[in-house]
Amino acid sequence: MKREDIGIGVGLLILSTWLFWYVGRYRVKEIYGYGPDFFPRVLAVMMAILGLSLIVNALLGNSLKMGDRIDPKGFVRMLISIAICIGYLILTNILGFATATFLFLFGLMTFLRQKGILVRLFSSVATAILVWSIFRYFLVIPLPEGLLF
Amino acid sequence: MQLELLFEAFGKVMFDPINFLFVFIGVTSGIIVGALPGLTATMGVALLIPFTFGLDPVKGLLMLLGLFSGGIYGGSISAILIGIPGTPSAAATVLDGHPLCKKGLAGKAIGMATIASFFGGTVGALIMSFLSPQIAKIALKFGPPEFFALAFFGLGIIITVSGKSILKGLISGVFGLMITTIGFDPLSGCPRLTFNSTELLGGVTFIPALIGLFGYSQVFQGIEKILILPPVKSELKNIIPKFKEIGSVFKTMVKSALMGTFIGAVPGTGCDIAAFVSYGEARRSSKNPEKFGTGILEGVAAPESGNNGATGGAMIPMLTLGVPGDAVTAVLMGALTIHNFQPGPLLFRDHPEVVYPIFAGMILAQFVMLGVGLGGARFFASLINIDRRVMTPIIFLLCVVGSYAMRFSFFDVGVSLIIGIIAYFMNYYGFPGSPILLALILGPMVEQNLRRSLIISHGDPLIFITRPISAAFIFIGIFIIITSYYRIKRAMEKEEKMASVAEKERID
Repeated sequence: MKREDIGIGVGLLILSTWLFWYVGRYRVKEIYGYGPDFFPRVLAVMMAILGLSLIVNALLGNSLKMGDRIDPKGFVRMLISIAICIGYLILTNILGFATATFLFLFGLMTFLRQKGILVRLFSSVATAILVWSIFRYFLVIPLPEGLLF
Repeated sequence: MQLELLFEAFGKVMFDPINFLFVFIGVTSGIIVGALPGLTATMGVALLIPFTFGLDPVKGLLMLLGLFSGGIYGGSISAILIGIPGTPSAAATVLDGHPLCKKGLAGKAIGMATIASFFGGTVGALIMSFLSPQIAKIALKFGPPEFFALAFFGLGIIITVSGKSILKGLISGVFGLMITTIGFDPLSGCPRLTFNSTELLGGVTFIPALIGLFGYSQVFQGIEKILILPPVKSELKNIIPKFKEIGSVFKTMVKSALMGTFIGAVPGTGCDIAAFVSYGEARRSSKNPEKFGTGILEGVAAPESGNNGATGGAMIPMLTLGVPGDAVTAVLMGALTIHNFQPGPLLFRDHPEVVYPIFAGMILAQFVMLGVGLGGARFFASLINIDRRVMTPIIFLLCVVGSYAMRFSFFDVGVSLIIGIIAYFMNYYGFPGSPILLALILGPMVEQNLRRSLIISHGDPLIFITRPISAAFIFIGIFIIITSYYRIKRAMEKEEKMASVAEKERID
């Protein structure tokens, strides 16, 4: 993980430098210099030291071996599932929570190659109704309402 | 100790059917979450918190405590049946539980795990009930320097939850502390790092962050690997062990329960360490140590009594000092805060109506766990067989709903998703999520008390070591950090040595 650690270390150094500079705008002198910028600046310095240590550690060859690697096809699958989730969030305001939830579950199960259509139908309808009922009648928490329910 | 308050709470909690129902729901959900590999008690509690928003705080907390106890026990079911610990705390149970299953004694192993968990959990809960008020009385004398020292001591836990790289654990911890600086400054009220967003004025909300760290990240990993991972199958027969068998392991259960409780009470240890230490001690003191690992009931009773004993133990520092004992109690601490109860010594003085039902609820949860565990073992075992392609979308939905329900905000769902994606990559690059959780809990306490102390002392940092309680926490914290560092380093070296030997054997 040498290259990754060096890259992350550099990223952390940039983040800490930016934070140290950015919180300077909150500086006040009245309370012995321990104003709103004090703690973020302490953290920025700590993060810079840790980022630098990560780089040095990697250059000395002490990085951990990369364990499980990201599966490229699986990663794309994950990104598509996030896109499905974003679509679901948009749909909740148009169709209503329960209907959109059913479509989300059914769609995601189909995308993840769950073969039995009855299993997909039953589990998505049952879960959508159960969660909707718990929030609406038991916890009385408002959920988005749209054209349906 | 206010014994009358304790007995009154016991009466209210034990004999109220509604309270019983909430504990029952919590325990049952906990066992299911614990039994499903990949879902931890921490994640279960995090996902259940939004369901407690509309409830009376005590009822909500009873449900969460039930889930905590049930979750730690539930891990043993999959550990025994399929050799995969449902939760990290059940890792030691695999050693003898799964060999028992291979011998056709899975039912007996689950029965023993249930009884040992009940016993350990009850001992832990009783010790918690009687010890916590005494510790809280001492903690009432704390000022800002003591609270800062206490938070420093709590942050020392980061070392022990850092996994393979302490450096990466520390980076996660500081990153978590950075997140806590977003929003209004606690002392001056100045908005920091909000980038003109009104939603960020109150800071990053705890529950969405928590669900991102432990919910979404696991869901994303599950989706990524869903077509690669093999399906799991479980079977189960004869559950209740004989009295003679229980009697033969009773001494081990008592010892493990006591050890588990005290290990759990040390911040930074937790149920998994308690289980391994209890197993190790049972093996060390056994007349037949060579039988451990081959499938004996004592090898199941020891870790299960130990890890459930640690549940009560881990609650002690969280309730009395406001420092969580482990990741699950950190989440429980967040739940208390959400219901407007700040854990710490003042909780005992200002809200006895919450503290004592927690004690009673923890004990009730053990009895419910015993009944549900023995009665429902076959059902829980069958849940392990649910297809991941059905389960993963349902958990995904619970993450979305959970992150929305806190403030009915889609912004929070977005924050949660982003934190989930960050946590997903962090897992791959060896950065643990638990230090971020600890930092989110302790960050505000560290900042406020550090600045207050320095203002009181006119900028003199010696204030932290000239006051006895504060100095004690600082030095104990440093001691724990140093010893944990060497313990982890030794364990890593041992692991590397074993891996190189295995690699050499493979090449030969």
